[in-house]
Amino acid sequence: MNAVNGAGMRLLGRLPMVLWLTVMWAVLWGDASPGTLIAGFAVGAGCYVAARLPHLPVRLRFRPLWAVRLAVRILWDLLASSVQMAYFTFDRPHRVRGAIVAVPLRTDSDLLMAMVSGGLSLVTGSQTIELDREGGVIYVHGIPIRGEGDVPRLRRDVRRIEELFVRAFGSTADIADFEATEHAMHAARAAGREER
Amino acid sequence: MTATDWATAVLLPLGALFALTGTIGMVRFPTLLGRMHASTKPDTVALLLILAGAAFRLPDLRTALPLALVAVFQFMTMPVLAQTLGRVSYTRGMVVAEHLVTDELEDALEKRRAESGRTGTGPGERD
Repeated sequence: MNAVNGAGMRLLGRLPMVLWLTVMWAVLWGDASPGTLIAGFAVGAGCYVAARLPHLPVRLRFRPLWAVRLAVRILWDLLASSVQMAYFTFDRPHRVRGAIVAVPLRTDSDLLMAMVSGGLSLVTGSQTIELDREGGVIYVHGIPIRGEGDVPRLRRDVRRIEELFVRAFGSTADIADFEATEHAMHAARAAGREER
Repeated sequence: MTATDWATAVLLPLGALFALTGTIGMVRFPTLLGRMHASTKPDTVALLLILAGAAFRLPDLRTALPLALVAVFQFMTMPVLAQTLGRVSYTRGMVVAEHLVTDELEDALEKRRAESGRTGTGPGERD
């Protein structure tokens, strides 16, 4: 990696985004002929230069098996919560209560946090309200919450979604980080339950 | 009727039904956050069903690809919108405490206020 100079690395880092834009272009035109691809690449690169988009150091990996599990979970939850909300729409909606819970995140990657907070807005009755970047705490509004007993369930759902995102897209370092924090949290919970 | 006709005949009305319940929910739920839950999720499902229904009317997969693009953009933009509205509504004090079982964000903000020693300056301040 040291052999490649800085400018080359920067271009290489931007390449995936330009390729993505090229794919979008080809899809919008509805054909994938070489002419369209070249034009799309030119327009994508031009947009990138004109907009002066910063280069994000994207260190992600893609694990298909976990990604499929994540997609199935999100689609299923989306459907389930839609049906649930439809039910409450007709059954005394003013009686439905929610809760805002604080869930400490176990990942410290900006990109993964953004994905988790976005993904949470899609799954069963949860919606991100605030993300405390320094503390690594996410505040999620959940609905419906019938009482205190439902709060741990919401917390568990959030943690499960976070785990799926980390395992589907996190780099090896992210996953190691995640597991280390998980162990630390587990130990802390076991050591001092009365603290919280 | 062919199989694709049946698929469309089931998927389109089902999608329309979800969109309808989402809209009714938006009117009937009393709080802003409840309304957002009621509208965002059924609407996304509705859009997916309608797109799938429409895709069955198209001659081949290539012409249906732009429909998939619509779904992708819905999934990318919807959470951003929901999160922005959720945060703003909270900051503006539009989250009604009586509809919440617990509010740990309020607890955290109070703690932060107490630590900073002065009120009315934090970025996450609630009116």
